[in-house]
Amino acid sequence: MIELLTGVFYAALLAGGVLALAAMGEVLTERVGVFNLGLEGLMALGGMTAIVTVAHYPSAPLGLLAGIAVGLAAGAVFSAAVVLSRANQTLCGLALTIAGTGLAAALGHSYAGQPAKATFEGVAIPVLSELPILGRAVFSQNVLIYVIWIVLPLALHFLLFQTRHGINMRSVGENPSAADAAGVAVTRIRFWYVVVGAGFAGAAGAYLTLAFVPSWSDGITGGRGWIAVALVIFAGFRPINAAAGAFLFGLITALGFVGQARNWPIPPAFLSMLPYLGTMAFMILPVLASRRAQRRLAAPAALGLAYYRDQR
Amino acid sequence: MMRFQRVASISPLIIVATRVIAVVAALLVGGLGFAIAGFDVPMLAGNVVTSSFGTEFGLEDLGLLVSPLILTGLAAAVTLRIGLWNIGGEGQFYAGAIAATVVGLSIQSNDVVMLPLMLVAGFMGGAVWILIPALARAYLAIDEIITTLLLNFVAILLVNYLCTGPMRDPQQAVQSASDRVPYEMPELSGDLHWGIGVAVGMTLILAIVLAFTGWGYEVRVAGANRHAAHYAGMPVRRRLMQVMLLSGGIAGVAGMLEIVGTVHRLQGGISNNFGYLGVMVAVLAGGLPIGVLPAALLMGIILNGGIVLQAYGVSTYEVLALTGLVLLFIAVGEQLAYYRLVRLRPVAQ
Repeated sequence: MIELLTGVFYAALLAGGVLALAAMGEVLTERVGVFNLGLEGLMALGGMTAIVTVAHYPSAPLGLLAGIAVGLAAGAVFSAAVVLSRANQTLCGLALTIAGTGLAAALGHSYAGQPAKATFEGVAIPVLSELPILGRAVFSQNVLIYVIWIVLPLALHFLLFQTRHGINMRSVGENPSAADAAGVAVTRIRFWYVVVGAGFAGAAGAYLTLAFVPSWSDGITGGRGWIAVALVIFAGFRPINAAAGAFLFGLITALGFVGQARNWPIPPAFLSMLPYLGTMAFMILPVLASRRAQRRLAAPAALGLAYYRDQR
Repeated sequence: MMRFQRVASISPLIIVATRVIAVVAALLVGGLGFAIAGFDVPMLAGNVVTSSFGTEFGLEDLGLLVSPLILTGLAAAVTLRIGLWNIGGEGQFYAGAIAATVVGLSIQSNDVVMLPLMLVAGFMGGAVWILIPALARAYLAIDEIITTLLLNFVAILLVNYLCTGPMRDPQQAVQSASDRVPYEMPELSGDLHWGIGVAVGMTLILAIVLAFTGWGYEVRVAGANRHAAHYAGMPVRRRLMQVMLLSGGIAGVAGMLEIVGTVHRLQGGISNNFGYLGVMVAVLAGGLPIGVLPAALLMGIILNGGIVLQAYGVSTYEVLALTGLVLLFIAVGEQLAYYRLVRLRPVAQ
């Protein structure tokens, strides 16, 4: 039983990391008022780039950097479209998803199915990793786990809620004309945080193919980008909540793994449906349960709306 | 001095023109990509055109691609009319295919009875698949983009489960699929079946209903300004529900037609991304049902081109990436169309 718990926690932290990275990036993007539905495509591009990079230069950190760089580059294209030319955010997000997954599958095709040439390996920390139940689950993971679950949520929370810059960011997402009048560079902040958020999605893809799976295959992202988008809404646009939500989804995914490994009398296809159905449930149930909670965790007021200075 | 100025409204002609320019620009950029990858682009382009239009076979194949695209495009377009997105065409397509196959395999009768029955089953299957997202949207204001999309993955898993488990035909060794459905859509010409007639017919009916009935008027007003429609006493929630169920049902019919017209068995992968491409068709059509017909034709040509190009080592993924590029260019072009170059005269002091 204890071994089962350890296994579930271990797998949950590992699997949830993909969602946590992508969702925290999307929190930044949505806090400045832009809805990026293209996470799935960015993730695919980042994951493919990471695999191709380590195939030629077997170094996992280099692969991660390459994945982030491609995420940033694709994010800059998206940001130029939605922030600078103010194109429809839903449309551009769908375009990014379709173009990104298509391009990643086409370019990564000859690398599909092979194991990654370099991966982020788990490192057991002495003493701590021998603690019961959580010891091995938490302290024998790869180094990225600590960045994803501890450093980034706290850092992003601090940035958004404890700094002047964070207030500026949030004001751009809530009321861009007021922010503009107060001297905040609305377009610049929007542009760069959309790019940064896309870099997070690229990192999530690289984490997926270098630490979690670790290999590349067509359609490997399997809707994780969309689950991350849903998670941001569920998390009330807060980085720490987003990480907590990602852990919850990691648990659901891990439950599916355990079920398959232990031959539970449920067909594997139904266990694989759990993350998607779980996402639906987490979008619907809180709203059903309490309208007040929904208001407290409401979206930034200007989310999804383009800002035209001349139509203030 | 010259300056770009944003104008409040533009003529429909300019909108159509920007769409055409966007598609051409995206194809040029895609062609450039292929050229860099070392392909002889003019030769490939020539081949795509001659093999789509040069022969009767080419035209029939094109028709087989265009009919599901019309329906999935119509499904997405009708929700755009009321200001919603249905990205779940893929899942509703499968749900329709499952429902039609189950009905087709469990009832013994003839084509005349069964084809309409399976059509209804396909419609119901698609409508059931969108029911929860529709309820969540209409009554709880939960974003329908993500909920409709998530069910695509569930539907694909369900089809794989059914084809490898309860509905598996043990005789099919290579690919797991259901038993053959014994009812077939009559053929129009060669391989091309009457499904295209059903698709065009449904499009025309829906275009007329939306343009000339009170129901269609309420849908259009609710799409333009939901609050105004509510204020005017229109049953906005009921219209949202009806339009979403209709949309799911139309995508389900596309799945049913694919079963009785082309594949004849339920198996994984039959949706061919038609659900996602349908969203693109609807956007190309500007959300207008009647515009779905030319938009689906264009998308069919691109898809058919992709199939032709497979002989030259171009994969379907590259074609998918190209369609994404088309979408991006349309979205950007749609905004840039609102800018015009004006000459500023210096003001006399």
